[in-house]
Amino acid sequence: MTLEQADPAIAARPRFEPRIIGFLCNWCSYAGADKAGSAQLFYPPNVSVIRVMCSGRVEPQFVLGAFRRGADGVLILACHPGDCHYKEGTYRATQRHRMMLRLLRQFGIEEARCRFDYVSAAEGEKFARVLTEMVETVRELGPLGL
Amino acid sequence: MKVNVWFCQCGDNIAAKVNREIVEQELTRIPQVACRSVDFLCSEEGKQALALDLAESRPDRVVIAACSPREYEATFRKVLGEAGLNPYYLQMVNIREHVSWVTPEPAAATAKALRLIHAGIARVRHHEPLMVREVDANTDAVVIGAGPAGLKCARTLAEAGRHVVVVEKTPVLGGLPVRYEELFPNMECGACLLEPLLSEVMHGRYAENIELLTISEVVEVTGYQGNFIVKVRRRPRFVDAHACIGCGECIPPCPVSIPNEFDCGLGQRRAISFPFAGALPNAPFIDEGACLRAQGENCSRCVQACPVPSAILLDDHEELLERKAGAIIVATGAALYNTAKLPEFRDARRPGVYTNLEFERILAANGPTNGEFRIPEDGRIPRTVAIIHCVGSLDPEHVPYCSGVCCGAAFKLSHLAATRSPDTRFHHLYKELVLPGKEEFLVYAKVRQNPQITMERYTRIAELVPDAALGSQRIRYFKPDGSAEWLAADMVVLCPAIVPASGLANLAGTLELAMDRFGFLEEYHGRTDSSRSKLQGVYLAGGCQAPADIQRASNQGMAAAGYVLSGLVPGRRLEVDPVRARVDKTRCSGCRICPPVCPYRAITMPADDAGAEVNELLCQGCGTCVAACPAGAIRAAHFTGAQILAEMEALLQ
Repeated sequence: MTLEQADPAIAARPRFEPRIIGFLCNWCSYAGADKAGSAQLFYPPNVSVIRVMCSGRVEPQFVLGAFRRGADGVLILACHPGDCHYKEGTYRATQRHRMMLRLLRQFGIEEARCRFDYVSAAEGEKFARVLTEMVETVRELGPLGL
Repeated sequence: MKVNVWFCQCGDNIAAKVNREIVEQELTRIPQVACRSVDFLCSEEGKQALALDLAESRPDRVVIAACSPREYEATFRKVLGEAGLNPYYLQMVNIREHVSWVTPEPAAATAKALRLIHAGIARVRHHEPLMVREVDANTDAVVIGAGPAGLKCARTLAEAGRHVVVVEKTPVLGGLPVRYEELFPNMECGACLLEPLLSEVMHGRYAENIELLTISEVVEVTGYQGNFIVKVRRRPRFVDAHACIGCGECIPPCPVSIPNEFDCGLGQRRAISFPFAGALPNAPFIDEGACLRAQGENCSRCVQACPVPSAILLDDHEELLERKAGAIIVATGAALYNTAKLPEFRDARRPGVYTNLEFERILAANGPTNGEFRIPEDGRIPRTVAIIHCVGSLDPEHVPYCSGVCCGAAFKLSHLAATRSPDTRFHHLYKELVLPGKEEFLVYAKVRQNPQITMERYTRIAELVPDAALGSQRIRYFKPDGSAEWLAADMVVLCPAIVPASGLANLAGTLELAMDRFGFLEEYHGRTDSSRSKLQGVYLAGGCQAPADIQRASNQGMAAAGYVLSGLVPGRRLEVDPVRARVDKTRCSGCRICPPVCPYRAITMPADDAGAEVNELLCQGCGTCVAACPAGAIRAAHFTGAQILAEMEALLQ
């Protein structure tokens, strides 16, 4: 039995809708998101996409800036290793993400709020799944409330 | 700043989920923002309406809320440009693929669309005018490798008036097929088949457009499509191929004798020699390492024997040449998988065991046995020959793929040898038989009818043991039913998997080309663009991209020539995308973090320490250096920090 089923008061409370910023590289992940669109795969509307040419463009300041401006989660999606349009951008992005997680821990921000994953131009289904998972994960964590 | 927002309903695709009235209402509340709706903005009427509105209302910036920018951004930028607005004053907001098609609830879809449009408006206010630059492009080419693929390409380009530099590692032109006596499926003579092509390249009507560099290697490449600078290390031939008349008088006096690698080491050659009889260019070369002069001796017997003054150049020396080109074609060819890597062939060695390439030389009239079918080392005519296909192939531990051309070549070899030695029996052992093609099957049909030749399927070779007493080889192999069998043969011919020629990894590094999981150069697309690499201006032909027969290699060489002819047209300039990184030198501290981060080596640190510099032609605009710069000194045009933060701020409001 879930909490909502047990307590009608909780069930009546409006559900927390997390606000998530998603950085998508132009060549793979953004195309994967377009593919999810063409396939009309439904996923929650909580993720706002910012398109960058390469995941390697995502500065740590963008991630911190998103949390500071009220985001409950940040998603960085990149080409699979070896498929990067710019050859190595994906590697830089993974390295920076690992570093970001250490930094976020120091700020007391849960690691799950900053997810990195690979979505190719063909993986519309994976895109929809990763987004849905991310929204559910952050919803369970609750508002960030810095 | 006036911002015009165009809301495309895309028929019902967007309008069914995103409420147009609410969007218009919300947007017109923002000062200096106007909102217009249209059914299909991408239609001719839509684009005309957009152009008309841009001309009349002269907005400062434009937001188009419609489909994916990957679909129509270029189209709408063009409309802006034609209306006199900078094309980069546009921001597209994807409310179809990212909103209406993926959000079931209209209220939620409308809210999300509005959020994204607000962000688009916030971002576009920070857009800067950018200009597409044009640069001159060199329309000439460098072809690496002088096999069928490289030469077909070079000849075609030369015929079209392009200057071509052919860089060949060995002293001889024609690649592997010129070393074969006959070719499958039609039993043509390999050298004769290529002779017209070689002659056109060397002496034909357009030969003056072709510069042939033998015993040469590409050692450095900088630049980009239209403007490559290729550095070639030309090792000395010591013979002027133009002055030499090819008489060969210089060869017999040479006191040095070494194994001839062009006969797979089966025969001998002198320090000055032709690789093999009939090799082109028709001029010998001096093996720099083998010549007595390299050991300090003052030998000049070859010069004394030469009837042409100054044809032999003993003071020839290595040169580093620089050539400019707009395109580079890699046609470095293939090699055989090293059988030493296979434990079952641990004891396989000559005499008695040969690769199919060595066997080709044994059958060749200009080979070590002068074309007589004999074991070269002891002169015996083998009574039984085992030809083992699929060596190392179809094996996940070694080469998982099928090379596709070895079966035909193997049957050609037994067919040829059987004709020469009617008392010899040939036994083919294969894992799979592969002979596709409208003519290739004929070889198999011929072999099937030949009583001298038999064939059998195997699953695995267990071992190959030389029997010294009998002077033969014994092969133990497994049959498909699981049973093991022994086979004795005077001669064993191995047909190993076809792999890229050695040195390809180095060349890939020099050119910054990606390699696939098998070690071949990665093509742009395996089905439709196998002659293009992933790097603009670099093309692939033949065995460097995949195992290839002569037909495939020639076709790919022609395809590569086609790409060069259409991609680099004399008089047409190349456009440079303005989405590039640029360094603000006043903020650069010279920390040197950015140069190694750039995947294109576009960033340099000038000696004067005045700060990093980005070569806008090499830069591809990924922005990785921008994110790496600790001083915030590098800007990514069209993806600046200010633009992205403004977008983010609006998304989170």
